[in-house]
Amino acid sequence: MTASELEAKPKQKVERRETTRPGTYFQPPVDIFETPDELVVVADMPGVPPDGVDVDLEGDELSIEGRVSRGDYEGLKALYVEYGVGGYYRKFALGEMVDRAGIKAQLKNGVLVLKLPKAEAARPRRISVEAA
Amino acid sequence: MAFVYRDPFEVLQSELERMVDAAFSPTGRTGGLYPPVNVFDRSDAYVVKAEVPGVDPEKIEINVEDDTVTLRGERAFTEPGANAAYHRRERGQGEFRRVIRLPGRVAADEAKAQTRNGVLTVTIPKAKEARPRRVQIEAA
Repeated sequence: MTASELEAKPKQKVERRETTRPGTYFQPPVDIFETPDELVVVADMPGVPPDGVDVDLEGDELSIEGRVSRGDYEGLKALYVEYGVGGYYRKFALGEMVDRAGIKAQLKNGVLVLKLPKAEAARPRRISVEAA
Repeated sequence: MAFVYRDPFEVLQSELERMVDAAFSPTGRTGGLYPPVNVFDRSDAYVVKAEVPGVDPEKIEINVEDDTVTLRGERAFTEPGANAAYHRRERGQGEFRRVIRLPGRVAADEAKAQTRNGVLTVTIPKAKEARPRRVQIEAA
């Protein structure tokens, strides 16, 4: 199998209400998949350092926010530009009950991996039928 | 006259945005060359930045020849197990190759590269004769 050629999708700007910090935010592209035990969200956030991510779960609404480190651009004058630089923000409605205490987030090489274990009640369970 | 402080990073941000908009709107481009790059001038060097989140830095090959920078590599993920079901798939995988022409003469053999937080930065010093120079005034 030959690997396909990658295409760049332009970053989508997002409007955030009630921002405390000014600046541009983009919508990070994500992969979301589900296993019997957990929900996994993978988001591309290039430029965000490991301590620059906030994950928030309010009711069934999950939001992720990433902030870029600004020092990387000091003394630079733009000559040719294909992408904007800013933070990342996105929110999702979760269809499943999630065990809040067990949520794990990891950021490596500009990719956020968020693991949301399903709450006990939401896991598939086999129910055996008792003979009458 | 009122002095309005503008954060240098925000000035750069809006400048980048203006340039992106000028280059790509309003045709609604859907796909471009990967990875997207920005080229900067740092007075003594050209700085090429590329967004390569999730790309193993060891899998990026960088060549600088004359005034041309070539980036080559592959973005590949480990797939989750067979019992996983996808709800969304927006992140692409595959191979890439990009050729970037620099706007001036450079010292190709002094180029340096590093990746940080999924951003590749290649710094290529300008050729000696192209660097800005401070001229001292000699006492008569």
